[in-house]
Amino acid sequence: MAEVRLENVSKYYGRKRAVQDLNITCGEGEFLSIVGPTGAGKSTTLKMIAGIESISSGTIYFNERPVNDLPPQERNVSMAFESYNLYPHMSVYDNIAFPLRAPRWRMHLTPQEESRRVREIAEFLGIDELLERLPQHLSGGQKQRVSLARALVKKPEVYLLDEPIAHLDARLKFSTQTLLKEFAVTYRSTIIYVTHDYREALGLSDRMVVLRKGRIEQMGAPEEVYNRPATDFVGKLIGEPPMNIIDGEMITKNRETLFTAGDLFTIRIRDDKVESMKRVARQENGRTVSRLGIRCEHIHISRKQISENSFRMPVYAIVHEAESSVVTFELRDILLYVRTRGEEGFRDYQIKDKVWLDFDQDNIFFYENTVDISKM
Amino acid sequence: MSRIDLDHIWKIYPRGDVVAVQDVSFVCKEREFLAILGPSGGGKSSTLRMLAGLEDISKGTISFDGKVVNELGPAERNVALAFESYALYQRLSVYENIAFPLKARGMKRSEVEKKVRYMAELMDLVPVLDTYPAELAGGHQQRVSLARAFIRKPNVTLLDEPISHMDQRVRAELRARIRRLHDDLGLTTIYVTHDQAEAISLCDRLVILNEAKLQQIGTVEEIWNSPVNRFVAYFVGEPAMNFVDGMVENDKRAIVATSAGKAVLPFTGTLEKQYISSKITIGFRPQQVTISRKKVDQGALVGSIKIIEFQGDTSILTIKLANEGGTEVKAVVEATQQYQPDESVWIQIKPDTIHLFDGDYPALQRNGSPKG
Repeated sequence: MAEVRLENVSKYYGRKRAVQDLNITCGEGEFLSIVGPTGAGKSTTLKMIAGIESISSGTIYFNERPVNDLPPQERNVSMAFESYNLYPHMSVYDNIAFPLRAPRWRMHLTPQEESRRVREIAEFLGIDELLERLPQHLSGGQKQRVSLARALVKKPEVYLLDEPIAHLDARLKFSTQTLLKEFAVTYRSTIIYVTHDYREALGLSDRMVVLRKGRIEQMGAPEEVYNRPATDFVGKLIGEPPMNIIDGEMITKNRETLFTAGDLFTIRIRDDKVESMKRVARQENGRTVSRLGIRCEHIHISRKQISENSFRMPVYAIVHEAESSVVTFELRDILLYVRTRGEEGFRDYQIKDKVWLDFDQDNIFFYENTVDISKM
Repeated sequence: MSRIDLDHIWKIYPRGDVVAVQDVSFVCKEREFLAILGPSGGGKSSTLRMLAGLEDISKGTISFDGKVVNELGPAERNVALAFESYALYQRLSVYENIAFPLKARGMKRSEVEKKVRYMAELMDLVPVLDTYPAELAGGHQQRVSLARAFIRKPNVTLLDEPISHMDQRVRAELRARIRRLHDDLGLTTIYVTHDQAEAISLCDRLVILNEAKLQQIGTVEEIWNSPVNRFVAYFVGEPAMNFVDGMVENDKRAIVATSAGKAVLPFTGTLEKQYISSKITIGFRPQQVTISRKKVDQGALVGSIKIIEFQGDTSILTIKLANEGGTEVKAVVEATQQYQPDESVWIQIKPDTIHLFDGDYPALQRNGSPKG
């Protein structure tokens, strides 16, 4: 297994920029996810690592050896795509065995050894019953698992997986995700994984890279990206419900610093958070505007006043989760999400009830305005 | 806003003699939000299409407010529909799209305007009323489609997976807006989905269909706490209910043989005498356990952590039990609790959250648990 390093890697299609100046290292045995919305440059990045796309500028290294000029078959990578690309005339068995038979790698497996490896991975992914079938007789979810098995059957320098479980139904997706993690942990494989689904990235990765329009928005461990989103964009992209992003105004009064969302609420900002608010605040029509971010589990809700900093709002709607509820509030044109879990009567709130809300200031963030939240 | 009665409904497709819906009966009360949940091929869509009048009913009756509607076409039933695809009129503005069902009925212009404004405000569409669907993002388009579905007072609103394919930012918002609309307008809504999280999020009661048959109908809590069979127990909840082989020791406790001796699991509820000393399947939900690093003498299973999947505010642990066969079970923990792979832990299971299954059916009866 290799360490994969991207150094100032850019990709242009004509004058259109797909990715720009990426610097990413995926350590040996590391599971690195690349996450972002459609068009962020995720697949392009993966294809450059595979050698399917040329690199416009910059260098890609496998174990410090530049691979820019190596064609895909010389790089010894294993890929699985969202589109399955199975050979239609070959059985599932032959499709999975195919990478083991590539002459370039001179594996010269005996038929018994080949069969053992194909059956082992097929059983692991729960498709061992399908080995004799042709791809045309498989469902989309089955095809996708065959494609994944074919990618995982050999031991390459790096596994490159592009949305490999996107087409599985919910239940199968979660169980296959766990299997993938088990695979990664067991074989200490170098895996670069592309997904638009933040849950897969959080659950699977050692580290994740958030891409936005071809640039890195944040890179770090899943806990870091979830708990401390670097920008409003990351906060909105990661988490369901997404992070609450509230635009407001910074006011200083009697040596206290307040954040006010107009007539909706005004809260005092704790001293140790004031600096971070000032850093991103900017002047707009004579007002100092600021953007506050807080996740739904960090807003407390109660029928009674919680602190002198809590405020009252009418409930807009309530949606449930198995062991929790999400109570929503209308803030002009956006909704505020508050998760309430487990405590007595958490299912008892009704729409239009006026309830008290309180922000946990250990977990509030201030951001520069980089996304139009009403359009996101 | 009607009460909907399905009385012994069948749908048989003559070609191939396929039974898509088999003897299904349930009631959707007036102003209720009912979700029909099941895997694909379970009979959900056929049921919805029969409700809408898009499909003949092979046997049985459907009534709206006590009046049989079997012979009525979709328009006469006054049913509003919204599907996964938005099906907006591309050449009409957002305003005209929403107004369409009203204009088609010859409503006065001033009246139409008033209603469209009201709906646009509820769905937060006022700023885009003069734009065209193609200019809008997917989430906005679905809001327009829902506004159009809800605008005339239908007898019942039928929603077929309208948000399951949207991305997570939009999904959370649409769920809240749909539920608010339902409550505000006093609608009767039937929502079809294969996604249990979607169903749980919105509905007052769940109807679970599988293999053409009704499995269970009840509130989320009833189904969560008292599933009528193993299919329902497994289908609702993510991660799904854990199942471990064990033995009934007496009518108060079950045991699981482990390498560290026998684990004793006390349970509440009533168990028939026939089960005592027999093999049983013990079920418990990953969301209802407590994980402890210290040895727990009773009411816990010991195992070692194999996989940890971070989810944001929670993590899912996959734990290999120290029983024969090393059964893998899952547990949901707060993400603030840090665990390591290979750590030994005790999974504490409260007596009132234990389920016992004899084959496909529950063996344990608790107060309020419905009979299958």
